[in-house]
Amino acid sequence: MIYSELLRESGRSMRTNRMRTALTMLGMMIGVAAVVAMLAVGNGARASVNAVIASLGSNMLMVISGAQTSGGLRVASGATPTLHLTDADAIRSLPGVAAVAPASPQAAQIVAGANNWSTSVLGTTPDYLQIRDWPLARGSNFSLSDMRSAARVAVIGQTVAQNLFGGAEPVGQTIRIARSPYQVIGLLAPKGQSFGGQDQDDTVLVPISTAQRKLFGAQFGDTVRVIMVQAQGSELLAPVQDEVAALLRQRHHIAAGQDPDFSVRNLTEFANAAASTTRTMSLLLGLIASISLVVGGIGIMNIMLVSVTERTREVGLRMAVGARPADILEQFLMEAVLVSLAGCLAGILIGIACVQVVNRLFALHSLVTAGSMLLAVLVSLAVGTFFGFYPARKAARLEPIEALRYQ
Amino acid sequence: MAAPLIRTLHMGKRYALPAGDLQALVDVNIEVREGEFIAIMGPSGSGKSTFMNVLGCLDVPSEGEYFLQGQAVAAMSVNQRAHLRNTLIGFVFQSYNLLPRLDAVENVGLPLVYAGVGVRERNRRCRELLAQVGLERYTTFLPPQLSGGQQQRVAIARSLVNDAMLLLADEPTGNLDSRTSEEILAIFERLNRERRLTIVMVTHEADVAQHAQRLVRFHDGRIVSDTPVARAAAQRQAVAS
Ligand SMILES: Nc1ncnc2c1ncn2[C@@H]1O[C@H](COP(=O)(O)OP(=O)(O)O)[C@@H](O)[C@H]1O
Ligand SMILES: [Mg+2]
Repeated sequence: MIYSELLRESGRSMRTNRMRTALTMLGMMIGVAAVVAMLAVGNGARASVNAVIASLGSNMLMVISGAQTSGGLRVASGATPTLHLTDADAIRSLPGVAAVAPASPQAAQIVAGANNWSTSVLGTTPDYLQIRDWPLARGSNFSLSDMRSAARVAVIGQTVAQNLFGGAEPVGQTIRIARSPYQVIGLLAPKGQSFGGQDQDDTVLVPISTAQRKLFGAQFGDTVRVIMVQAQGSELLAPVQDEVAALLRQRHHIAAGQDPDFSVRNLTEFANAAASTTRTMSLLLGLIASISLVVGGIGIMNIMLVSVTERTREVGLRMAVGARPADILEQFLMEAVLVSLAGCLAGILIGIACVQVVNRLFALHSLVTAGSMLLAVLVSLAVGTFFGFYPARKAARLEPIEALRYQ
Repeated sequence: MAAPLIRTLHMGKRYALPAGDLQALVDVNIEVREGEFIAIMGPSGSGKSTFMNVLGCLDVPSEGEYFLQGQAVAAMSVNQRAHLRNTLIGFVFQSYNLLPRLDAVENVGLPLVYAGVGVRERNRRCRELLAQVGLERYTTFLPPQLSGGQQQRVAIARSLVNDAMLLLADEPTGNLDSRTSEEILAIFERLNRERRLTIVMVTHEADVAQHAQRLVRFHDGRIVSDTPVARAAAQRQAVAS
């Protein structure tokens, strides 16, 4: 039978039973919508995880003051930190270490003119920006001589600049941190959200010497809460992590078997774990999607079987006027595939709509790719063929006389 | 003289039923030449439809031989028989058997679909045939919109669209009133005369059988008589003289 003829006939049959065709398409539609949305959102989530990983800075370890907590990254405040600047210097001389930056965050109120803003002020060294892969938008970083002189200079994040200066140029302006004036010498490039969903641009950096001596008072002496360590390569992360731990145990006189008063964390690992979580989620969604595709296929098979029974006399008549079994097979198979394909196209549209909603809700930038649409079409063709085959063969195997006598 | 279009030799048909075998045809021997118009009569259940199905290659004999145009049908594959039905044979059924979703032209064109004829050529031939059976104004009507007689005429057009040589009609007037029956029979006679179309027609009514040239009677699956039909008009003349 000619293909145009097959298409015409299948289209006619689908139009005649509109409601049934729509119901048959439903399972396929849901399955394809799930597949398309799953692929898009999975990719979107992976992309945003990758962006966060990149924003952490590469090959970074974090030494955190205080006993290890299950809470992960949260830095215990209040108690006097257990790490010292000298620990940072000692770590810097370990093999495989590229850069070290001690960092002490502290909440503070910042005032500029009539505006004020509460943020976290981070006392650190010039290496901090290098470790975090964090370029400046304008101005400059503080220098080693600023460190030595404990200069009142600050580098501010985008969010802080926005809230204190609006659209105006912040570099060169003066801000007051804890009532003392600081000169803004640099503006950081935007960095976005961290894992915890925190706004990383809501920060102010000052030299750690300034923070310790002039800002946070003598209360904590030369202790620091966090020491950032950058390894020279990703393959060195694990050995450097072990060396840092061993060195600090020795320096802090911690006996074997005793819990240390610090923890060393590999943030890349943490990010990788997050990435593998999204992968697992994608797999799970994929599984659900495949199940609904199979269910959709069974729905098609079911309805096609009913259709074959209903059209038994028609099959008999077609055979009487010269249809071969292969012609009948093609006709029903074509119908199953077309229903499946139509369900697939509707499913793609629904999937795209779902992705738009998810993007709104979770601030993702997921896109339904041409590849995933092609995949959906191929899968629906396969499902239609597979589940349409049995009913079609049943029709093709009818005996013409029996079929003509069927009431 | 040319070989007969149809020849059967000790042909039988047995149906295997749960309650035991049923012999629907027994030792049927018949020859039909091209251009004959034969009426088949017999009580209900005597095997007339079974005989027609075998002649139409819808079924195969379980005993004996059936030759169509000299070819043994029993030995043919399913596809070969489909091809014969498509190109050589036309069916007209008591219940018309039109597809309700297709309009008159599409119903008539159905055999051409399986012969691989394109839609333009199909429509041209279908219109021509519908005109021959007097339905030129009903080409786009769906079967439910047509009367019984009109539907049967569509079915006749369909049976001829592939230039069939053999028309098999199983009680073609069974659902029609006598006037419409006469119209259908007139078409049969004309086709038989003008195209030399071979017609085998089952009927219950003696006056319908009168339109044929030869009358074959079945009883319990056997041919019990096979006689020329004395034309009704000729009979009346004979009586009058
Ligand atoms: N497909 C079939 N299966 C079983 N029995 C059948 C079948 N077709 C016909 N018969 C039986 O064969 C006999 C002849 O039937 P049929 O040829 O239809 O008779 P008629 O057309 O002369 O009334 C009947 O007893 C009928 O029940
Ligand atoms: Mg019958």
